[in-house]
Amino acid sequence: MSRIGPALDTFPKLARANAERLAHRVAIREKDLGIWQSYTWRDYFERSRRIALGLASLGFARGDKTAIVGDNRPELYWAALATQALGGVPVPLYQDSIEKELTYIVDHAEARFAVAEDQEQVDKLLQVRAHCPRLECIVYDDPRGLRGYSEPGLLSLAELEERGEKFALGHPRYFDDEVARGRGEDTAVICYTSGTTGAPKGAMLSYRNLVEMARIAGEREGLHPDDEVLAYLPMAWVGDHMLSYAQAIVTGFAINCPESADTVLHDLKEIGPTYFFAPPRIWENLLTNVLIRIEDAARPKRALVHFFMRLAQSLERRRLSGQPLPRLPRLLAPLGRLLVYGPLRDNLGMRRIRVAYTAGEAIGPDIFVFFRALGINVKQLYGMTEASVFVAVQKDGDVRLDTVGTPMPQVEVKISEAGEVLFRSPGVFQGYFKNPEATRQTVEDGWIHSGDAGFLDAGGHLKIIDRAKDLGRLADGTMFAPKYLENKLKFSPFVKEAVTLGPDRPYVTALINIDLAAVGNWAERRGIAYTSYTDLSQKPEVYDLIAQEVMRVNRSLAAEDEVLRGARIRKFLILHKELDPDDEEITRTRKVRRGHIGQKYATLIEALYGARERVEIEARVTYEDGRTGTVRADVAIREVV
Amino acid sequence: MRGPAGASEPLLEVDGVSVRFGALLALNRVSLCIPRGEICAIIGPNGAGKTTLLNCISGFYHPYEGRIAFAGRERTRWRPPDVAELGIARTFQNVALFRGMTVLDNIMTGRVLKMRGSFLLDALWWGPARRQELAHRAFVERIIDFLEIQAIRKTPAGRLPYGLQKRVELARALAAEPELLLLDEPMAGMNVEEKEDMCRFILDVSGEFGTTIALIEHDMGVVMDISNHVVVLDYGRKIADGTPEHVRKDDTVRDAYLGVAHD
Amino acid sequence: MAEVLWGIFVGPFKDIAGSPTFFVEVLIGGVAAGLMYSLVALGFVLIFKASGVFNFAQGVMVLFAALTLVGLLERGVPVPVALGLTALVMIALAFGIERVVLRPLVNQPAIILFMATIGLNFFLEGFGEMVWGSNVKRLDIGIPDESFKVAGVLVNKLELTAALTAAVLVAILAVFFQRTRIGRALRAVADDHEAALSIGIPLKTIWVVVWSVAGIVAIVAGVMWGAKSGVQFSLSLVALKALPVLILGGFESVPGAIVGGLIIGVGEKVGEVYWGPLVGGAIENWFAYVLALAFLLVRPQGLFGEKIIERV
Repeated sequence: MSRIGPALDTFPKLARANAERLAHRVAIREKDLGIWQSYTWRDYFERSRRIALGLASLGFARGDKTAIVGDNRPELYWAALATQALGGVPVPLYQDSIEKELTYIVDHAEARFAVAEDQEQVDKLLQVRAHCPRLECIVYDDPRGLRGYSEPGLLSLAELEERGEKFALGHPRYFDDEVARGRGEDTAVICYTSGTTGAPKGAMLSYRNLVEMARIAGEREGLHPDDEVLAYLPMAWVGDHMLSYAQAIVTGFAINCPESADTVLHDLKEIGPTYFFAPPRIWENLLTNVLIRIEDAARPKRALVHFFMRLAQSLERRRLSGQPLPRLPRLLAPLGRLLVYGPLRDNLGMRRIRVAYTAGEAIGPDIFVFFRALGINVKQLYGMTEASVFVAVQKDGDVRLDTVGTPMPQVEVKISEAGEVLFRSPGVFQGYFKNPEATRQTVEDGWIHSGDAGFLDAGGHLKIIDRAKDLGRLADGTMFAPKYLENKLKFSPFVKEAVTLGPDRPYVTALINIDLAAVGNWAERRGIAYTSYTDLSQKPEVYDLIAQEVMRVNRSLAAEDEVLRGARIRKFLILHKELDPDDEEITRTRKVRRGHIGQKYATLIEALYGARERVEIEARVTYEDGRTGTVRADVAIREVV
Repeated sequence: MRGPAGASEPLLEVDGVSVRFGALLALNRVSLCIPRGEICAIIGPNGAGKTTLLNCISGFYHPYEGRIAFAGRERTRWRPPDVAELGIARTFQNVALFRGMTVLDNIMTGRVLKMRGSFLLDALWWGPARRQELAHRAFVERIIDFLEIQAIRKTPAGRLPYGLQKRVELARALAAEPELLLLDEPMAGMNVEEKEDMCRFILDVSGEFGTTIALIEHDMGVVMDISNHVVVLDYGRKIADGTPEHVRKDDTVRDAYLGVAHD
Repeated sequence: MAEVLWGIFVGPFKDIAGSPTFFVEVLIGGVAAGLMYSLVALGFVLIFKASGVFNFAQGVMVLFAALTLVGLLERGVPVPVALGLTALVMIALAFGIERVVLRPLVNQPAIILFMATIGLNFFLEGFGEMVWGSNVKRLDIGIPDESFKVAGVLVNKLELTAALTAAVLVAILAVFFQRTRIGRALRAVADDHEAALSIGIPLKTIWVVVWSVAGIVAIVAGVMWGAKSGVQFSLSLVALKALPVLILGGFESVPGAIVGGLIIGVGEKVGEVYWGPLVGGAIENWFAYVLALAFLLVRPQGLFGEKIIERV
């Protein structure tokens, strides 16, 4: 592991080294007027230098902040480097922020300068400036529609660079001197995180944070200057800052800026990146896109695709859970690669991908399996802005469905008493800008409190369970993660919905909804006759079936996680009716409404914590036509051992 | 709120033009004058003769009396291709795109008058023909960028939603680098967001290329926002002509038009 | 009964497997004939696309082109010059048709224009025979009607030349339509007349261009057919074979015309050779029409045609 020498401890210094070492290699491409325009590392550095000198001519001082707002454009990345070259700090902003949000951040960050992509952003910034007099200069890249503007301090990038040229004549050594003054421990960037509660917080990341983490991740994943990245995520998101800026400069690979937000999928296909980063939302969009195209295909083709996709997905699921692969599907796989997986991967623009991440939130297992089944090496990444992105990543060849992988090299992860994930790494940020209170709450002795509940399993894989604040405790203090248990239960095809109970109770219990189609099918194959959902749900055989599923969950709990071992499910019952949004038991998006269920099924719940084996219940149901009726049933309670 | 009108000569002059369809007098001695660089809105209730007037200017109809002059030369009896050749481009009320062709091809077709060259070389896609094609493609790409339709470049025009079709039609008209752009209800059937976009594009076209624009529009808000000259027609007659403020205050207009349109 | 089934389902395939080289020869013959059909069908498609006219006279244009060429060659004009002159004649013809037939009939219903092309058909037939005579003529453009062997497969030089020429012509047309301003203008006119006018596409010129192109395609078709089976009145009947090709491929589709032609060419040759004996031969004469009939029932818009949507 090479430490960063003093010579290459900031991005301007690294970029200058690239301009020499990789002078004629492409650093950045942008699709403009329908054609991919390329800029080499020499262009990259040279343009940044001119922009920096232009800023200097306007009186840019060390420590000044530059707000950067717009779609991913080469000029905006250069503006970030230019700012850093002068000892300033770029503050990238979300391009779709409304004026109020921009005002808060520009004001809080004390930005004196702003670089904007176009008229739309300039208009917003001019409004912002009315409230933030500190914002002096607004520089724009695309002059369209801005010719008629005569506001003071507003100038185009072209004008700025021209000023820079002139300034350089009078100050030939200025730029090099300023670059040389930069230090690894200086703040490199302030990334504002949009918390779900309260005002955004500005996480300060130093050069050392970003450069070291970029290097560590690059070494682990084997990144090299031939890699290609699509720079399409918001520049304000730390993920893009790491990939398209920090890692690009540290590794020297090329980034590609799409033509517009609407053309991303198309540009993805044209570029065929080798290294790709997307939040689950994007993966979902891609999947939907593929599915639509499959549905549009002719019938035989569609059947072929469906057949091979089912095959690949079942294989991939087995592979991810470490089960042996059956012979026949394994033999068919090469045919599938030729006929289906390869073409589909091409169509998505993912033929060349070596490393792809999903991060930001949990990805749906089906989506994850789908892309892996296509042979795309997509891996889960667990990260945070405050960690300079990387905390844990799944290793090639050791990818599982239910963990986010093992900690990155030089990242230490531990679980607090309360079950919260804590970590310490070279990427741990400098603190929140002008918010020592929040910094104190987040960092303790160099350990960051992630706010997520999780644990490390026997193999050293980090498993995230829930947000830490959603964790509950049994009456004896044992930790209990309701959503985690419910997801485990719902992994069974027979369980459609599950509600676990436990906080402040002696043990954990579960209310279960069976999946009528799956259990019905199962019952038919065994010759079990039934008349209705209610009837089927109370068959002793069905209880046996579900009891096995509950025991499976309990076993996996005992095998995998120390922290949650105590929270095994002791008793369960199968509800006599399906949870229904019409009855306000679940939301339309199928989220369980715990409070309502607690009231409605109070008798059942009491029985789960009593000694009875059966309980009678009357429940009001709402029929589709709006009438209401009562369902009376005798519900069994089962204890599992 | 006068445009750059004062400084420059009139680009289009319509003088006492009448059009008759059988017994119906669709236009009755209408006169108007559009100076260079101006955005002129033609408004009026349905059946007021707005589209007829536009069709006269673009050569689809011929007036039975009166004269039309463009850039100082009388062109009353011109026909559509001649009109296009003169530097007048238009869009249609009910989008008239080439539905089976891609957006790119649609816009390229708009440049047909700017293209010259040998038929044979063309057919062989060789030499100067190829260079010419590429030069025109570059120009068309500027328009695509300008109107922000990069994502639909290769989509057949017929498959686009209505709002985008209107935008593509504007792109095709712009491809001819017209001096005068005639827009027949460019915002009809659009939602608020699409309307805002279209307004921005029309103002940008005027600002960036200096194109003179005459447009028919029903949305009074839009008309007041973007035009610097308004002509009001009613039953084939011109009943008002002036700045938006002037027209808004005009009693005749209020009685004849605004009352009707705003019910 | 068993024999019949054998003859349909087993025998022919045994023959094919037994002598693959012969099968390849049959296939090549089919492709060559198919490309000829495609060329004639292409003429129809071009005119139909650009002007919405179903040109009944396309077959006679083939005959007329071949007659003109033979006539010139008989008078001792060298082949390249004769070809060039024939092309000029066909272009002149296009100008004439635009002037005399299309322009006066602009905005008339399609059926009127169709009738006009029937008139054109008779005129060209009569005029051609009046100028060049009505006896069967041999067309010799210097490519011998002989065969050579490639990997054991017998290939006819004339057929090969014809196929290559047709392929090149089709490729040029494809580029022409997709990539050039005139091609785009042609497609634009086919799509929306009014809009095409408004952006300054002159309809007259487009018509002349499209009829000229159809004329030149007719020359190629005429030369190839003529060289094979002599120039005579029956040449215009080739047009009848083009009709099923159009039904198969769709009236407005250039690729449809090509693929349709190939399917019919190959289908009837293979059918004739392998299944012909079963029904006493002459499959070649009706195969195309039966196939077209089947297509009309199953997919009336053709292989590549736009889906027909009933407007209510």
